[in-house]
Amino acid sequence: MKALCWTGVNQVSVEDVPDPVMLNRQDAVVKVTASSVCGSDLHLLDGYVPTMAAGDVLGHEFVGEVVEVGPDVRERRAGERVTVCSIIGCGRCHYCRTGLWSLCDNTNPNPGFLEKLNGHATAGIFGYSHAMGGFAGSHAEYVRVPYADVNAFPVPEGVPDSSAVFASDAVPTGWMGADLGEAGPGKVVAVWGCGGVGQMAVLAALLMGAERVIAIDRFPERLAMAATIGAETLDYERVDVLDALKELTGGRGPDTCIEAVGMESHGTGLQYAYDRAKQSVRLQSDRGLSLRQAIHACRKGGIVSVLGVYLGLVDKFPMGAVMNKGLTLRSAQQHGHRYIPMILDRMSKGEIDASPLLTHPMSLRDGPKGYDLFKNKRDGCVRAVFQP
Amino acid sequence: MKPIPFTGRGPRGRGRRTRRLLLVGAVAAVAGAAVARRARAARAAEPAWFAVTVLADPAELAGPGRPDVLARLAERHEVRVTPAPGGRGSEIAVRAADGQARQQVRALKQLLETGEVLVVKGQPEGHRTVLGRTGLPAFRRLTREGLR
Repeated sequence: MKALCWTGVNQVSVEDVPDPVMLNRQDAVVKVTASSVCGSDLHLLDGYVPTMAAGDVLGHEFVGEVVEVGPDVRERRAGERVTVCSIIGCGRCHYCRTGLWSLCDNTNPNPGFLEKLNGHATAGIFGYSHAMGGFAGSHAEYVRVPYADVNAFPVPEGVPDSSAVFASDAVPTGWMGADLGEAGPGKVVAVWGCGGVGQMAVLAALLMGAERVIAIDRFPERLAMAATIGAETLDYERVDVLDALKELTGGRGPDTCIEAVGMESHGTGLQYAYDRAKQSVRLQSDRGLSLRQAIHACRKGGIVSVLGVYLGLVDKFPMGAVMNKGLTLRSAQQHGHRYIPMILDRMSKGEIDASPLLTHPMSLRDGPKGYDLFKNKRDGCVRAVFQP
Repeated sequence: MKPIPFTGRGPRGRGRRTRRLLLVGAVAAVAGAAVARRARAARAAEPAWFAVTVLADPAELAGPGRPDVLARLAERHEVRVTPAPGGRGSEIAVRAADGQARQQVRALKQLLETGEVLVVKGQPEGHRTVLGRTGLPAFRRLTREGLR
């Protein structure tokens, strides 16, 4: 089959690879019908995740059709159309049972690296480095899905692939950000980053009843998309974000600050230059510009909800602001399984439509072009989605 | 030309100071290595426990009916099974667990909780470089046995 492989820093190529086979009795094989790029792939592409190897199949956000199930799969059937969560859960460990799916104890077969780096290993993720389990990704014609009963979710009839594909990651991640941030009636929510996840965090906060949502980015088309969903917008290259947020919130600052940017944060001024320089010589692994700003902006006693992917160390972390302002810092890779059934149900009722994120549908053969458009934000690309 | 008198300063003096600093540095490095080795030896004298929490009744993991792997581990290691707080099952701790023992304990946890041990070898992959072909198996072995 064809698959899009990582071949080196900022290099991907479409290769002929063997078809997946079932390796465990609770596996399924899914024929991929749509597989999206994700902002977190860029950290792999850019070479900031050290456990990638040339030949790794990329992709973790996808929808498809079950073609084969293992003998111990009880609920999924061949022929079902499914969205598969990007995070792989086992469904049985203490963490999965308590809804903390991305902390699964059993789905990372290579736990030692993260145990050394973070103290503990967390769940496996499709196509996301050998530290995250070394699972082959979904930018391929077929993908093997472990523990298929808990990781694959039937898509209701009438929900198109263009929306269902984002129920795999962008929508539940955005939803989790608003949920962890306790967005709701009377709350002012600010969202840093208007990529796919940020857009869905805006939508989630509004659906949860937030009073106002303020979206922050620098790309006009992304800010326009957030405005269409219902956000007020700030272009950080044109305004001082901290001043603007104070003005917009009567001096308080947002109640909930959702950071949907991560370790390759962009910005302006000396702080950005400092972060880039330190990261480029590996004196810090992660650039924390937007995270610092979210902490600085957040109202006293507010919640900073971190969705952006961070790998290791952020320099100049404003712990004084966290402590003295009594902030709550919450974060996780997405606990998608907690939200996906509800999200698919809302999609079928027309309450959530994620398809505007899909700006560039394309063939898997055009994968390298898709990543170029996405990484360099060319042609208004929010998400390129491959249809193998 | 008159010879330049040696004063302890100037180029020759700098050379001597550099050599002295290098010597001091080398001695410090050797001393540091010796201290580190002694520290490692001290750690080895009191081997650490490797512990996991398993969502299983402690009664399942003790007595003659316990899983074979625990019985085998107990022949080579001190093994402790205690109830975990908050309804989280049992804590299995193995003293002085080597890489193989760690892998066995992790596999036992997976088997008890999910009914299978997850496999990733044999998945689709593109062209591997020589480094990838040799490095990946080594990486997997290292990260499964646990980095020290």
